[in-house]
Amino acid sequence: MTVLAEDAVLTMTINGEADLLHVRSMLRAEAQRAGLTLTAETKLVTAGSELARNIVRYSTHGQGVASVERLHRNGRHGVRVEFRDDGPGIADVEQVMRDGYTTGDSLGLGLPGSRRLVDEFSIDSAVGRGTTVVIAQWSR
Amino acid sequence: MGYAGAVVSDELSYYQQMIDNITEYEVIRLDDNGIVQSWHAGAERLTQYTAEEIIGRPVSVFYPPEEAASGRVEQDLRIARDTGRCESEGWRVRKDGSQFWASTLLTPIHVHGTVVGYVKVSRDLTERREQQLAALGAEQMLEAITDYEVIRLDRDGYVRSWSPGASRLKQYTEEEVLGHHVSMFYAEEDVRDGLAERELATAAREGRFETEGWRVRKDGSRFWANVTLSPIRDSTGELLGYVKVARDLSERREQEQLVQRQRDEILELSTPVIQVWDKILVLPVIGTLDSLRAARLTDGLLERIARDQAEVVILDISGVPAIDTDVAQHLLKTVEAARLMGTASVLSGVRPETAQAIVHLGIELGTLRSRNSLRDALQLALQIVGGTAAEREPVDV
Amino acid sequence: MSDDIPILRLGPNLMVTLQGNLEDTTVEHIERAVTHEVARTRATGLLIDVSGLSIVDSFVARVIARLVAMVRLLGARSTIVGIQPAVAITLVELGVPMSHVRTALNAEQGMALLREPTGR
Repeated sequence: MTVLAEDAVLTMTINGEADLLHVRSMLRAEAQRAGLTLTAETKLVTAGSELARNIVRYSTHGQGVASVERLHRNGRHGVRVEFRDDGPGIADVEQVMRDGYTTGDSLGLGLPGSRRLVDEFSIDSAVGRGTTVVIAQWSR
Repeated sequence: MGYAGAVVSDELSYYQQMIDNITEYEVIRLDDNGIVQSWHAGAERLTQYTAEEIIGRPVSVFYPPEEAASGRVEQDLRIARDTGRCESEGWRVRKDGSQFWASTLLTPIHVHGTVVGYVKVSRDLTERREQQLAALGAEQMLEAITDYEVIRLDRDGYVRSWSPGASRLKQYTEEEVLGHHVSMFYAEEDVRDGLAERELATAAREGRFETEGWRVRKDGSRFWANVTLSPIRDSTGELLGYVKVARDLSERREQEQLVQRQRDEILELSTPVIQVWDKILVLPVIGTLDSLRAARLTDGLLERIARDQAEVVILDISGVPAIDTDVAQHLLKTVEAARLMGTASVLSGVRPETAQAIVHLGIELGTLRSRNSLRDALQLALQIVGGTAAEREPVDV
Repeated sequence: MSDDIPILRLGPNLMVTLQGNLEDTTVEHIERAVTHEVARTRATGLLIDVSGLSIVDSFVARVIARLVAMVRLLGARSTIVGIQPAVAITLVELGVPMSHVRTALNAEQGMALLREPTGR
């Protein structure tokens, strides 16, 4: 794991399963900093864990990047996280966003489940171009 | 009086050539009464007069009329004659009437101890004066801004200028901060994170960076700051430093939090959890459930279950005017979450139209038990608590 | 194999405690260790204490559900105790199927549930 200190965005490379722990710790710290409720914090960390695991399991060489950005809007504070990989990409995004769809040995909960846990969710993917998922969670 | 003019030597012609080559300055000779005796290109450039137009005219034509009338010219010449020089700065007038800010030096020409004339050297300082005024203006402007910190950092983030607003905000004096790194104002955990360096890098890359966060005063106290960083670049785009503008939003944040607390309290009041018996909680759901209230209701109930180690929770929905799909789904999620914690749920107060709605919506009821009235629900709850553990799990697997 | 995994023997039951920020391989390691231990000791009940977990994602939930199923095949019942409130609602939103697992608020009640004559 490397924390690159060259950006207001905290960036962390994901290289293997051990990095899931680092992603969880980082998201928990950022959630607390933003003043999220314990439930919102737990959901964000869980969603982050799912998405980081997707990178480890399905991207090329299990590598990708997680970037955290601190948000402020109308007195509310939030945490935005981007998970990016240069893996094989997803051919049918709509299909994988449906519950029950599964690739490999996953239960297929990763993406649709993560979407239900956070306030904002977007996914951009294409075959051969990798996948980028952005999630955000806000304080009340 | 024609004495000086009559002296012509090679030496003098060299001097004249030298003077002719000076274009940034006006270097002219006046006679002992202040009448212009010599002219050159630099003088013409400055005042627009040609030699023919000006030679023989009094030097006072270069002065604004009111100053000339006040005897200013004669006074300057007298000072030059008596003290050997007269330096002054002031507005001077061109041929077309426009004015420029000039510095002027008058020195007397002596022949055998007698003043026979003067050399006048003038230079246009209008631009420099404008810059000085602008700088002075900017400085005074900064002095006047006391609610904001406006400071300059060098490219590496070291403080290079300080302002009264900055002193007010952070309690440091100029001497205490100049030359120190900007991270001295950051909270300890952010210093460890290298936040200051990252923010500067982002500002340099994006052209501007605005953020909110904790900053630390001299006495160690924290305040919630709004900070804007803008890079300063020279004409080639080379990064010179940053302008940092900051202000204290603590008060606003406190107000926000107060409003938040009040809103929480109202939500709390609108979703009260009541312990009616040992290990039995009742949640009377009253009014319309929007998503915020629904989430708050679930959080509050689950936290209370954990705190009281409640074995049964009664969800009384007799006070809910209408159950739509969202509300029904939400209640069922709450019931399932409570079950995962080890707590059984009993629904009470289901009205006939609500029952119809829930069934028509095709909502899976799972293991949820329901009673018509709160009294019946409480009776069931007491049975569950007092009975065998298996009764908590109606569908035992 | 179970040296570093806290598996406690309480009469005919075993109790395993999951806590902290767990790596996937650790979770799978625990799953294998517990299954072996249930078989070795011929325990009739297994208590899985998750009160020390501040997050349970779909992977961990799936391993727990799998463990419960395997232990059942070995003739023992399982109860999960101490699921945190925020974890509970997160699991429900995530959609992890957990309807077949028995739960209790704490170890004491979990033990009581394991002692019940009903069930297998």
